[in-house]
Amino acid sequence: MTQEEENIIVPGRWDLPFRHTAGRIASHFFHALVEKRIIATRCPRCRRVLMPPRPFCERCFVPLDEWVEVKQQGTLEAFTVCYARFTGLPDPPYCLALVKLDGADTALNHLLGEAELEDVERMKETVRIGMRVEAVWRDEREGGIQDIKYFRPLA
Amino acid sequence: MSAKVAIVGIGQTALRTSADDRIYHEHDYEAARLALADAGLDRGDVDTVICSGWDAVDGRTISDMHTAMSSGGYLKDSSHVGEDGIMALAYAYMRIAAGLFDVAMVTAHGHAESSFETVSNVVFDPLFVRPLGQSHLVSLALQANAYAHRYGVSDEQAAGVVVKNRGNGAVNPRTHLRSSVTPEDVLSSDPVCYPLRALHCPPQSVGGVALVLCSEEMTRRISEKPVWVTGIAWAIDSYDLGSKDLTSLSSLSSAAQKAYGMAGISDPLRALDLAELHDITPFHELLAYEALGLAPEGGASRLVEAGDTARGGRLPVNPSGGVVCGNPYGAAGLLRAAEAALQLRGEAGQGQVPGPERALAHGMSAPSGAAARTDCVVIMEGG
Ligand SMILES: [Zn+2]
Repeated sequence: MTQEEENIIVPGRWDLPFRHTAGRIASHFFHALVEKRIIATRCPRCRRVLMPPRPFCERCFVPLDEWVEVKQQGTLEAFTVCYARFTGLPDPPYCLALVKLDGADTALNHLLGEAELEDVERMKETVRIGMRVEAVWRDEREGGIQDIKYFRPLA
Repeated sequence: MSAKVAIVGIGQTALRTSADDRIYHEHDYEAARLALADAGLDRGDVDTVICSGWDAVDGRTISDMHTAMSSGGYLKDSSHVGEDGIMALAYAYMRIAAGLFDVAMVTAHGHAESSFETVSNVVFDPLFVRPLGQSHLVSLALQANAYAHRYGVSDEQAAGVVVKNRGNGAVNPRTHLRSSVTPEDVLSSDPVCYPLRALHCPPQSVGGVALVLCSEEMTRRISEKPVWVTGIAWAIDSYDLGSKDLTSLSSLSSAAQKAYGMAGISDPLRALDLAELHDITPFHELLAYEALGLAPEGGASRLVEAGDTARGGRLPVNPSGGVVCGNPYGAAGLLRAAEAALQLRGEAGQGQVPGPERALAHGMSAPSGAAARTDCVVIMEGG
């Protein structure tokens, strides 16, 4: 074995098919998105409206079966704008946001669109935590989280 | 109430950007050999090995099991954690404290055969979050922004944390990035995920870390420089970023309160002589000060500005340079424990804090739900 011998690199790639079930709760939520309605489950004990809806409350540890419709407007609780390009992630810049919809007690992960992102200084002037946003719908909705195209600043 | 357990062997390999001349098990192997030599033990003395690893980063499933042989585990008792090695330390502690074993080997490795940002996307749930482009850094940036916005933490204050830690790392031959940076360097570095800049983000480092843990009786027999674990606890918070308060680290406060109770600490700022924290971003170092009770909510950056957490300050934090200087993903938390133990032995070299008696190490299982977290706190005292 000599020092000069090169190290051989074997390329690898994971491409494994899955069929992820949304289950009855998320399926009900996704069916509602097709009809441009956003619904959530409410905990019978702590009364929190959990978004996205889930089958049980992790704090009270009880099943959730009460549905409520929440508003399509909400408040930007947190955001980041990704400026770096990473393999497998969306093209930069994109803005990932946590939106607390009116009527919900927890925030939804989604994208922020129709905002100035390209230039950081201008972005900082236009995108702010606490700003009001609203859902923008895709024309073709298939029953998935991306039936909401993104949230946009409310004029 | 609890049995005494000591760290009697410490092994670290040099951290670097890549190591194509080694397969990933070899990092654990080299670190384990170093830790055994440091303890004055050999493989035959080891009763149980606890390994750690992350499948997606290592490019194979149950990767935490593949390193059992490289940790000296042939035909021995072994268990594995798919999280940071700091949790392997917690498992090993329990196995010894339970009286089942005398000597435990704990190993962890960092590896870099894929981009951590790319593979961390699969940590997120495929229904609601993954399709949006969530990742490790994106989630940390959301948390950093929420915290900075709520308490008015400035770009300059975040840069101050990086400048402190990179300055410490500059004199630590064991870490990866060994050059100091200026506030201007940090402030002019490229935006990555706002508010995170390039110099806020840790490198992806390759290397191994191993610790040998021992029962009290065995420690008294074989070790002249034991580091006693006097408090250890861990806690987990919701994986859902939208369900938690991003402006505090609730799982870390919960773990810290339990560990302080066990170690009999009521005023950590006075009781501790140094801390090694999992500063995955400078904002997270600040968040950790608050969760650990070192600063009031929103008050952490004042500690840095006052120099209190500098190497010569009241409570030096990350005298090793921290994670921003060396980040073997999966071993970065265990490395905090190794560095804190070296300090208590007075063997930290140029970065040595004068005469420390009690140290805190914090590790988090960063990608097990990204900013949603598992945190582990270890309190240790010199022998
Ligand atoms: Zn509840």
